[in-house]
Amino acid sequence: MRKGLIQATDAFERIVHWSLAISCLILCITGLGMMFQSFNFIGTIMGGLKSLKYVHNFTGLFFMATLYFTIRMWWKEAGVFSMPEDMEWMMCAGGYLWHVDKVPEVGKYNPGQKAFFLVVAGCGVMMAITGLIMWFPLSFPTELVRWMFVLHALGFVTIFAFFFVHLYLGTIGSPGSLDAMLSGWVTRAWLKKQHPKWLKEMEHEGKLVVYGEEKTSTGGHGH
Amino acid sequence: MAQKTKLIDVSKCTGCRGCQLACKQWNQQPAAQTENYGTYQNPPDLQSNTWTLIRFQEIADKDSVKWLFRKDGCMHCTDAACVKVCPSGALHYTEYGTVAINNERCIGCKECVSACPFDIPRYDRVTDKIYKCDLCLTRIQAALEPACVKACPTGALKFGDRADMLKLAYKRAAELGGNANVYGDKFVDGTHVLYVLQEKPSTYEKLPANPSVPLSIIAWKDLLKPLSLLAAGGVIAGSFLHYIIHGPKLPDEDQNHKGGE
Ligand code: HEM
Ligand code: SF4
Ligand code: SF4
Ligand code: SF4
Repeated sequence: MRKGLIQATDAFERIVHWSLAISCLILCITGLGMMFQSFNFIGTIMGGLKSLKYVHNFTGLFFMATLYFTIRMWWKEAGVFSMPEDMEWMMCAGGYLWHVDKVPEVGKYNPGQKAFFLVVAGCGVMMAITGLIMWFPLSFPTELVRWMFVLHALGFVTIFAFFFVHLYLGTIGSPGSLDAMLSGWVTRAWLKKQHPKWLKEMEHEGKLVVYGEEKTSTGGHGH
Repeated sequence: MAQKTKLIDVSKCTGCRGCQLACKQWNQQPAAQTENYGTYQNPPDLQSNTWTLIRFQEIADKDSVKWLFRKDGCMHCTDAACVKVCPSGALHYTEYGTVAINNERCIGCKECVSACPFDIPRYDRVTDKIYKCDLCLTRIQAALEPACVKACPTGALKFGDRADMLKLAYKRAAELGGNANVYGDKFVDGTHVLYVLQEKPSTYEKLPANPSVPLSIIAWKDLLKPLSLLAAGGVIAGSFLHYIIHGPKLPDEDQNHKGGE
């Protein structure tokens, strides 16, 4: 750890984030194995398509538990838009798509991230409900079960698209971001660029945890 | 290979259940303990080891009652909803146009159970697989007729090339007159099991008057499946283009000391 780095995420946050990311990835991959017969081979390394189905189902249960913690932990910061600055940010697409002289300052999460969070939370809950019904199709009315498959596939399309963009922007699309997920310590320069408002607020409140400096109080999520 | 079809002429059926037994015998399916619920129909419904069943039904006919016997079982659809949804390829079309099942591949997901417009596939908890009639595929391959057809003493069951069976069915329906009709050639692109019915289809229990591949399954398999490929390709190409055209978003200063790694 280098002096001057700032703690952006705590250990609990990172564990939940990784659990969600890995289970979501496993669900996408195993789901693909069932969606396209040309991907049936993914089941081979798990000992057959039948095992793949159960890997999907039980990872689904793990995903549901993680989703609960994700929503509880991030709802306040990422679940509500703060107007009007979030609107202004969206009008210029956060400076991601064309050159913008001054991107409106955002807090801990920018509106793009908030939208992603809401999609994951919304679709995640939908995947859980539809998935559970699809797991036990004989216990529910046939017509209902049939539409569950449609919603599950729709949720998959949505989650996969957002997940990939998120992956890109969290890594090579925005260098320095991955540290927030790996060690939790990020540079001041990165924060200034990505989350200036949060940086200012934390500094103002004296809550900023800077490596090598005595910390005044903990940020925390109340867990 | 010529399309094969089984013709069920319900007007000739006496409800002897020889076909039901022959099916069990040929496919080596044991009978389970059954229950009496006040009708001759036995067992009460199709089961994972009962792939064909004579449905007994009494209807009012002027002052008396009339028996209706209908041999129920897989219709072997040309556009089969079960094949459409099966993720493992266990359910598949054969060279005869029938729908067979490779139980080795079945993963017991029961998607076919929900999909079938005729409510045919049955799940077995013990093996965690589904079962249904395969129109005696191995017998057809050996140039034999299905076991049920072979067993039928009254000529209610016939088996042969699809074109011949269709002709025969229409001839018989015309002969019977009245409400008699041919069931099976007007939906799901035609089935490989045809009925000659004496009454309107809606008279028969558990026989859909207008079966079709459910809309939800078309939306799921014909719309969302290709869309998912398009979306996946779109975001991957989009991210790549973003990287090479717009470039990554970098902090304004301190670029040489990214730190934290
Ligand atoms: C990020 C979350 C998830 C993703 C991306 C995902 C993806 C998929 C995909 C692509 C399929 C194949 C559907 C098709 O053939 O069109 C599928 C099937 C299925 N999923 Fe999910 N899924 C997720 C969560 C869940 C959850 C939480 C459950 C419930 C425990 C679940 C249960 C099922 C079931 C039961 C099936 C049908 C196959 C089977 O019987 O196992 N899924 N999923
Ligand atoms: S009747 Fe049902 S099980 Fe038989 S082929 Fe048609 S959809 Fe499949
Ligand atoms: S239960 Fe078996 S046959 Fe039916 S759709 Fe699933 S894998 Fe295919
Ligand atoms: S064997 Fe023929 S007559 Fe006997 S129940 Fe079957 S279809 Fe009817």
